Amino acid sequence: MKTTARIVVPIVFVVAISLLLQGHNLPGGGFIGGVLTTGAFALIYVAHGLDYLEVGVLGRDVEPGAGVFEHRTVTAYERAFILGLAIAIGSGFAALLFGEPFLSQTYEIVHDVPIYHEIELATALVFDVGVYLVVVGGLLTILSVVGAE
Amino acid sequence: MAMTEQIVIGPMLAALGSIVLTLSTRRFRRLQRAVSVAGGLAYAGAVGALAWRVVLGAGPAAYQVGGVDAPFGITLVADELSAFMLVIAGAVGAASIAFSAAYVDPDNQAVFYHPLFHCLLLGVAGSFLTGDLFNLFVWFEVMLMASYVFVAFYGGEQHTAAALRYLVLNVFGGALLLLGVGGLYAVTGTLNMADMARRLAAPAAYGIDVEPVLGLSALLFAAFALKAGLVPFQFWVPGAYRAAPLPVVAMLAGVTKKVGVYAIVRLYFTVLGGLPVQVDVLGVTGDSALALLGPVLLLTGTASIVLGGLGAVVRDTFEETFAYSSIGQVGFIVVPVGVAAMADAEPLRRFAIAAALVYALHHALAKGLLFLATGAVRSATGTNRLADLGGLAGRSPLLGATFFVGSLSLVGIPPLTGFFGKFLVFDAAVRRAAATGAAGAAGVVVALLVGAVLTILYTSRTWTRCFWGARTPPVEDAAVDPAHAAAGAALDREGYVDVIDPVGGVEE
Repeated sequence: MKTTARIVVPIVFVVAISLLLQGHNLPGGGFIGGVLTTGAFALIYVAHGLDYLEVGVLGRDVEPGAGVFEHRTVTAYERAFILGLAIAIGSGFAALLFGEPFLSQTYEIVHDVPIYHEIELATALVFDVGVYLVVVGGLLTILSVVGAE
Repeated sequence: MAMTEQIVIGPMLAALGSIVLTLSTRRFRRLQRAVSVAGGLAYAGAVGALAWRVVLGAGPAAYQVGGVDAPFGITLVADELSAFMLVIAGAVGAASIAFSAAYVDPDNQAVFYHPLFHCLLLGVAGSFLTGDLFNLFVWFEVMLMASYVFVAFYGGEQHTAAALRYLVLNVFGGALLLLGVGGLYAVTGTLNMADMARRLAAPAAYGIDVEPVLGLSALLFAAFALKAGLVPFQFWVPGAYRAAPLPVVAMLAGVTKKVGVYAIVRLYFTVLGGLPVQVDVLGVTGDSALALLGPVLLLTGTASIVLGGLGAVVRDTFEETFAYSSIGQVGFIVVPVGVAAMADAEPLRRFAIAAALVYALHHALAKGLLFLATGAVRSATGTNRLADLGGLAGRSPLLGATFFVGSLSLVGIPPLTGFFGKFLVFDAAVRRAAATGAAGAAGVVVALLVGAVLTILYTSRTWTRCFWGARTPPVEDAAVDPAHAAAGAALDREGYVDVIDPVGGVEE
């Protein structure tokens, strides 16, 4: 189980990020990217137990019996949720500044970039990143808190 | 797009902004409360500006979210009806959030109370503003998500049970709604309400079968009636109202029930209004979908009035009395809608709709006020059982006066909103009875009368039991917080102001 997690988790992360980045004009997007990322986290939790991220990865001490809300990872998930919500809604508000309707999007294609040749920079990506953070933060909060019970 | 048009989405932006701000300030409780109340006021302000723009200014406005054109993008439409319903939401919402800040205990407020409240306001604003049938479903769900959490908010055994019932029932209703919306999309090929109305007015030109539309609209009607708590879907109301925090109940009774009524009006009068279809079911005949809607609404409306009134007379707590009362009062709102649906002449139709809207406004203000006053009584005395209370009026004249005004308004004494509401509703029903001369039409008037008498009965019963007579021990020991009574009293004053209502006046 742990060996599988070691191999699969990085692959899932890469796929999740690529889905997030291509989401504005190909299948994918913030939501599905976030769900995949959560899936990778779920695999870590299942393989290594609830305290692994806190103790094994971040090297923090966990007081026994303090409850999962005391974990700083859970606080971080909550923050990710709020930050994501702020980014997603803020990206909508940005359109208002230009006199466009709420959530209006635009894009710019940048030419002559080394290796990639050209890259499409879409404002929709900002919204997608917000959605991604909301999904990751929300689902991981639920997963870790409900998982602890 | 001109800058002024941004006001259409204003109420939703105010709610969205408040959600983010109250979430990010949740570690600082006083700041969070202040931000939340300011957000509620901003919401009311945005609604006011929008209503000013629509009713007194340039007329209805449309807004393409994200700049994607209709019928593919999501359109927001602010017409007189939406603006009117939003004004109700803004008035009750701002008062409820201010009351919550003082009433709900601080520890509970810190548990996502404020973001959820603004989520509820967001769902309400979205439902009233959207011009897209599927988007209406989405906003219904946004509103319901927040309500589920509120019904389960106190986390006790009975709260959880009530929340589970509420959840299962509304998931079922949501499925019906989604099924109906999907079916309508399959039949008409569009989700945009204006586009759908245009296509349904000339079904042959777009190759639309009209019969499925009727059946699908009945699915939607059931989902909306469930939301409005009409008989036979009234059974969820008392349990949910008993469980949720009282300021939220003021919102649920005052505003979210109206969303169901609004959706019925919007669907049948705006979207299906022009559909030429021969109806001949169970002795009901006519040439539009409205002919089918009318008898159904009159039947469920009168049943709601009688059942709600009878239920309210025998309950022994404030919440239950008013929960049953609001079942009956929604009946008073849909009966004129039914009259409008069956009206042959355009003037009677417009008049009856105006009567329903004025009554909706009245009920939102009066019931909002009474639930907030109930909250003030509960926080002062620690009980809501009618048997344990007595002599409250002498103990706290301000609270007594607030409650008294709310009760009088519910009964329908001039110059309160209730008088205008009841007067117009009776007028509409009597006009229809005079026009048709049918026994059924006269029966509706009789049911309205019975409902009005029952209203007098249960309001005077609560009043004499709890506010007059000898003071009971809980009342004697009560510490009335003036801020609580004041929040209710603020809604009182709005009751006077809103009598001069532009939409009702114009429509009449």
